[in-house]
Amino acid sequence: MAFDIDRFSETSVPVTWTDLDFSEFERTPLPEDSLRALRYMCDVEYHTVCYLRDMLVTPSHEDEDVSAFMTMWNREEFWHGEALAAVLGAHGITVDFDELKATRLKLGWKDRLDPVKQSLLGNLVGKDFIATHMTWGAANELSAVAAYRRMAELEQHPVLAVLLKRIAQQETRHVAFYTTQARMRLERSKKAQVITRFALTKAWGPVGSTISTSEEITHVFGHLFSGAAGLTEVRKLDEKISGMPGLAGLTIVENAMLKYGIDMGDEALVA
Amino acid sequence: MTQELSPPVPDLSAPAPDFDVREFARTAVGSHRAEIDLDAFDAEPLSGETVRVLAFLRSVEHATMNHLRDVLVTPSHKDARVTAFLTTWAYEKFWIADALSAVLAKHPSVVVGAQSLRHRIGGGVRAVIDRFSPIREALVANAIGDDVIAVHMTTGAVDTWLSQTAYSRVEATEPHPELTRVLERIREVKDRHLQFFAAQAEFRLGESAGARALTRKRMARAALPVGSDYQPRSEVSYFFSQLFDGAQQLLDEVDARIQALPGLDGLTLVRSRYEATA
Repeated sequence: MAFDIDRFSETSVPVTWTDLDFSEFERTPLPEDSLRALRYMCDVEYHTVCYLRDMLVTPSHEDEDVSAFMTMWNREEFWHGEALAAVLGAHGITVDFDELKATRLKLGWKDRLDPVKQSLLGNLVGKDFIATHMTWGAANELSAVAAYRRMAELEQHPVLAVLLKRIAQQETRHVAFYTTQARMRLERSKKAQVITRFALTKAWGPVGSTISTSEEITHVFGHLFSGAAGLTEVRKLDEKISGMPGLAGLTIVENAMLKYGIDMGDEALVA
Repeated sequence: MTQELSPPVPDLSAPAPDFDVREFARTAVGSHRAEIDLDAFDAEPLSGETVRVLAFLRSVEHATMNHLRDVLVTPSHKDARVTAFLTTWAYEKFWIADALSAVLAKHPSVVVGAQSLRHRIGGGVRAVIDRFSPIREALVANAIGDDVIAVHMTTGAVDTWLSQTAYSRVEATEPHPELTRVLERIREVKDRHLQFFAAQAEFRLGESAGARALTRKRMARAALPVGSDYQPRSEVSYFFSQLFDGAQQLLDEVDARIQALPGLDGLTLVRSRYEATA
């Protein structure tokens, strides 16, 4: 199925929440664990611009459709950050630009060198690396949708559920873009398949794992995906990713969950 | 009522304290198409000269991702206020380029030299430089540190001053009511970009001698308009000569604004770009 980038651009709007009754959070505040997970998600959304940077240093930005998508995607994700910050704000947790700056400063040298690594790798591999970026993006967006839906389900909070569904709805369009691009690019190049398979196996981690401590990741993903129900969700994600050309048999999400010590029951693979 | 007469005290600890980035993001201007009467260009088409200049302007407005790439590999990406601004800035520029595309599409018979982004990087030396420039930029700028943000903010201000002048010059050289309306909408959008860039540049240059020295040095070799280094030389040259031959004082006015920024006195950046392409 083709992705209509013009239509996507024309209909790209900030997620809305001002119509929702946030005073509900005073009557039914979210529990501590959920707020911690939301804080993580909020940070991830705001840091999209850092992922954008990583994509821009490789040949991805030369493609006009990709660059149009990235413009809209980056903005929609910024607004997801704003929406989640508003929910946190209703619980007395302030997320302001100075704090975000502090988080980014903490990333330190590893982050500073990252564009160099990405750029070298991306440019040595050339156009085929775009396939890797697109597949990587698809995996991230797919897990974001799953995380938001799961959180809405677990919480059963009348206001939060509506907001998270709206966010997940927008993420679904991002999934459509990334998977369409990834499929097309993987299909036409064996080399792209090999590189992508290698990169995902060796380096993929849950979205946000580069900007957070492993303790935080364990907490957040444990909150969302532990137990047999979590495993079912995780496997659905792996099924979608491994269904792409040349990626059969990959279980990157399940592996990552195990790596962070998420207990998904006896059915899960051995780490 | 002295209370009402005194202006609010700005928070001087932050750059551009009066610019509300969240408000800017909230009120971002998207597609202009519904507001443009494209039929007006059937009734009264634009001259070939104007179409060629607009094609150039469209290309440089559209090239935000290239610019963002070079900005984001530096410490500028750490500043969440700056990145929040740039997120909306890129969005608004996307739709400015789209408005120009809509007008250009009404003039398909005019052959313009400007290439679209899609065809820009074919190969050769330029492509190699382009591939590796973020690496150089990341290494150099990260060693320099925060002062590089002043360079980016000043570049943004200078580029916007120049393009605002260019749009008003197009209006003057081609009196066409609908084109004027379109360009005025565009200039209005860009006015807000200018407020942010100018206030940020003013603050950051004022704060740091290192930022002043670095900005002076970097601006001397910056491509102006931003993105013109990805356009064919012939089109950059056409842009300057078509709009500013006989109106060089407008470029001097832009230079005067640049010179008024802390530490940038005596620079004739825009005038020298014009002269270099002559």
